[in-house]
Parts: sequence; C-alpha cells; structure tokens
Amino acid sequence: MPLSPFFTTLLTYFVRHQNQLQNKFGHFIAWSSLSLVLITALVVILRYGFGTGSIALQESVMYNHAILFMLGMAYTYQQDKHVRVDVFYTRYSERTRAWINLFGTLLMTLPTMIFIIWSGWDYVAVSWRINETSAEAGGLAYLYLLKTLILLMAALVISQALSTAAQAWLTLSSAENVSPDDINNNQVDNLEGKL
Amino acid sequence: MEWLALVLFAVIFIALLVGFPVAFTLAGTSLLFALIANLFGAFDMAFLQSIPSRIFSIMSNEILIAVPLFVFMGVMLEKSKMAENLLQTMDEVMRGIKGGLGIAVILVGMLLAASTGIVGATVVTMGLLALPTMLKQGYCPRIASGTICASGTLGQIIPPSIVLILLGDVLSSSYQQAQLNQGIFSPEALSVGDLFIGALLPGMLLVVLYMLYIFYKAMTRPDLIPSNTGQAVAPGLTSRVFKSLLPPLALILLVLGSILGGFATPTEAASLGALGALLLAAVNKQLTLTTLNAVMRNTLQVTSMIFLIFIGAAFFSLVFKGLGGDELITELLTGLPGGVFTAMLIVMALMFILGFFLDFIEITYVVVPIVAPILLMMGVDPIWLGIMIAINLQTAFLTPPFGFALFYLKGVASNLKTADLYKGTIPFIMIQLSVLILIAIWPELVTWLPSLVY
Repeated sequence: MPLSPFFTTLLTYFVRHQNQLQNKFGHFIAWSSLSLVLITALVVILRYGFGTGSIALQESVMYNHAILFMLGMAYTYQQDKHVRVDVFYTRYSERTRAWINLFGTLLMTLPTMIFIIWSGWDYVAVSWRINETSAEAGGLAYLYLLKTLILLMAALVISQALSTAAQAWLTLSSAENVSPDDINNNQVDNLEGKL
Repeated sequence: MEWLALVLFAVIFIALLVGFPVAFTLAGTSLLFALIANLFGAFDMAFLQSIPSRIFSIMSNEILIAVPLFVFMGVMLEKSKMAENLLQTMDEVMRGIKGGLGIAVILVGMLLAASTGIVGATVVTMGLLALPTMLKQGYCPRIASGTICASGTLGQIIPPSIVLILLGDVLSSSYQQAQLNQGIFSPEALSVGDLFIGALLPGMLLVVLYMLYIFYKAMTRPDLIPSNTGQAVAPGLTSRVFKSLLPPLALILLVLGSILGGFATPTEAASLGALGALLLAAVNKQLTLTTLNAVMRNTLQVTSMIFLIFIGAAFFSLVFKGLGGDELITELLTGLPGGVFTAMLIVMALMFILGFFLDFIEITYVVVPIVAPILLMMGVDPIWLGIMIAINLQTAFLTPPFGFALFYLKGVASNLKTADLYKGTIPFIMIQLSVLILIAIWPELVTWLPSLVY
C-alpha cells in the first residue's frame, strides 16, 4: 500500500504531534497518583489522629482517583501498556503486528469509544442540566464534571486510536521496515510496567 | 438462542489470542457481537444503554481506590532498596542450613508479599539479585527459577493483595445478589478484610510447603542444591538483620495490622503504606525527581490498564446477560449430578485452564461474576470460595506460557533457558494444587480465623 509522499508527511506529522501531546498530558496526569496518596493519607490522619474529617475532602479522593485512571487511559495506550495476551503476539513480525493494530483499532477501539460517547452523551447532559451535586450533605457540588470524564476519556482514546492506526498504516505502506518506534519519535517512557 | 452466549465466550477467547489489547478486545468483540445479534433479533440493544452508569460506578467505587495506592506502594518499595537489604541479610542468616539460600528467597518473598502485593517487583528484584548467586552456588537452574517465581507469586495470596481486593469487590456484589435471589432481604456483607483474614493461614501453609520442598530436595539431592559452606558471615549480623527487618515489619504492622485490627479500610491502610514507602525511599536516599516520576508514571500506566479492563468487562457482562447467558450457566451448573461438589470442581478446572492464557484481572471480572452468584446460592461459603479462587488465580501466574511471573523473570534473566523456566514451575504448581485440595477437604483452614475475629 504505497502512499503519496504528501499523505505520508501529513500522517507522520499527525502521529508525532498527537503522541507528543498525549505523552506530555500523561506525565502531567501522573502527578495525580502522588496527590491521591497524600490526600488519602491526610483523610486518615485527620480522622484517627484528630477526630475530624470532611465529606468534601473524602469525595475529593474519589475525584482524584477517577481523574487518575480515566485520563491516563489514552496515555497508557500511547505507551502500548494495555496488557495483551501475547502468547503469539511476541512471535509476529513487525508487519503482522501492524495489521493487528490497524484492524484492532478500527474494529474494536473506535466502535467502543464511539459507542461510549453516543450512549454517554445524554447521561452527562442530564447531569449538567440539573447541575448534579453529591447526594451527601457537605459533599462536592461537581458531580456533572466528574461524569464528564467519561466523554473526555473516550475523546482522548479516539485521538490516540487514530494515531495508532496511522502509525500501523505508515509501517505497512513503507517499503523498508520502519519500526513504529521510529515514527513514534522515541516517545516511549522506558518503564517496567509491573503488577 | 441462549447458546449464542457460549458462542460469544468462545469468540472472545479466540479474539484475545490474536494479541490486541485485552480491554479493547473484550469491549469491541462484545459490541460487534451485540450489533450482529441485534440484526437477527437475538439481542436487545437496550441492555447496553447502562454502559455510562456502569463506568460511573467503577469511577465511584470506594474499594477500588486501594488499587492505585497499593500499586504506588509496591513500585516505590522496589525503588527503596528494601528487598536488596532483606535478601542479603536473610542469606547470611541461612548460611549453613541446607538449601539456605532457597529458603531465604522464600522468606523474603513472604515478607515482601505481606508488606505489598505486587508480584512483578518481587520477581524482578530477586531475579536480578538471588538468581545469579543461586546459580553460582551450583543450584540447578530449574529449582532456582521455580523458587523465585513461586516466592514472587506469594504477593497475590498473602494479604494485602490486589487479587484479593478485586475478588472482594466482585464477590461482595455476587453475595448480595445471591442472597436477594434467595429472598433474604437483609443480606450479610462480605468485605475485603474478610478475605484478607481468610487468606492468612493458606498463605502461611504455602510458604511452609515451599520451604519443606526446598529443604527436602537439598537433603536428598545435594547435586541439585549444594549446601553453602564457603563464605564466612561478616561480623555485626544481628544489627544488620534488625535494620533490614525493621522497614518491612513496620509496614506490615501499619498496613496489615490496621486492616486486620479493624482500624482502617484497605484503602486507608494502602495510603499509609504508600506514604511509608515514600518515606523509606527518602530515608534510604533513593528519592529523586527521576525516581518519583518513574514511580508516578508506572502507577498511572498499571492503574489505567486495570481499570480499562473493568470497562471492557462491563461490555462483556451486559451482552452476555442480554443473550441469556446467566440463565444458561445457572441451568448447566445446578443441573449437574453431584451437586455443589461437581459444580465447584468444574468452575475450578475452568479457571485453572483459562489461567494458562488469561491473567487474573480478566478471569476475576469476566468469569467470577457469572459463576459466583450460582455457587453462593448453592450454599458455598463466600470467604472459602474467594480463597479457593485466589489460590487458583495465583497458580495462573506460574503456568506457562502466559504466567506473569515467568515473563518478569525471563525479562531480567535472558540467559535462562525457557524450558528450564517452564519445568521449574511444575513442583510449585503441584504444591499449589495440593493446597487447593487441602482447603477443599478442610474448609476450616480458611474459615476458622475469620470466625474468631467476628
């Protein structure tokens, strides 16, 4: 599948900049893991050490937690850290992997995320309309913002999915074997993802 | 048309083997299957309308907040050099005992497991530190690699563990559902803490059996496990032992103690543990901005990975339910000759086999919600069921070709032959299975401790 040079340049430009943005955003969101630790510990220390506490502070733990994983999903996708069953995958050639990623993105990721936006739109819109707040007295008044994370997550993942598909296409269309890492411009954090 | 639910299960299993990320495959395959079934009138798309509220309930689930906190704690501890110090002093303490180094590895695995619950960190650390020493002392590579992998997986069964937190989350809602179905309208609750207490004795039993195995091998086959008579122990051992044991014991007291003592929820205890790990790294002069960035990004990636699987599993469970799969499985499991025993045996065997290919998160969120309510309605004790599943899933970490522990060890010990790595796990898988059988015969091993506490 040879592409016209213009189209190749355009796709490469998109992939590089999309991934760079996604990467920077992920590094920013990563700080929310530290704040989650500190705020949760603060809640515990206030309760058991000083016998006080506030529902708002407790709910901010939940908000922090939701922000962490909902907004980190696209970054994790960019870093290719969503776990795969790699019994066979590790043995495939670069091209076979590109085919899998191209079709997987088009058939699995995009429909899923479009469905989440389509079905979630009203769910979130209703929450905005009534200015939905916490059911608890003294809770946070931003439940509609929290629910909006569902749409934001899907939008970010769609952006990354388009980039992943473009990356796979570039790999498939190039005569020589361009590894995805070259296109990705080494924007892969060198971490050991362990569980 | 209920058989379509089984077709969905089979299609997803095959799709997963292709190697596209698990979470997207679970969601995408279920969605496409639903759309096609809908065309033929076999599925009502209204079932999928609750996806947004399902996602929101994952976001607001208080139990699951413990997951990123324990991940943060585990990754931070790995950077704090606690494991290195422990391994070194334990090795010195065990000098002179037959199979001493192997037993030291198991003890360190146990201590790390009780302070955090991350398998990967433990296996990698010991693969880097203990494996070369074991091989240099003349340990057979199979026994060395098997011991390290098995000791690493202890993190999944000895509380606090992420497997038990996720199982507690799934089983508590299954237990509620089972009781409501039976017409009990003031249902008893099941907490993550119950599972933690129930897992203590079985976890210890595994540790003892692992050590007995190494000791027995060292006695009968000195050609495979030579005794270490070489180096003398450096002076000042007692104070070094004390210094290396203090941090893990303090963390265990803080995290596990506060949960088991009923002072804190797992989430609260996890935040204190994470704070403790942060302080420990600072005290050991390991806390730099680079380290902190690596820990935070790693936590973000692992957490996002796990939670996206929850969303994928929500798609699967709604479509499976919409196709009538729940009724089908109920019929299949309750209609068996031999009653609960056969049903339990089949479920355990299915999980064991799936464990060769899938990891614990998918099994916990795809299989357990389907079968657990049925087994619980048949009268199975929820804590016992949880621990049986947990040990089964822990075994999945060891079973080739897709055992996490094997991957981690292979990653840091590339000169290890894959055949040795795989064969080395066999005796430990056997130990796991025999513990499963022991618990099946004497459920008191699990239920006795929780009954004392409450």
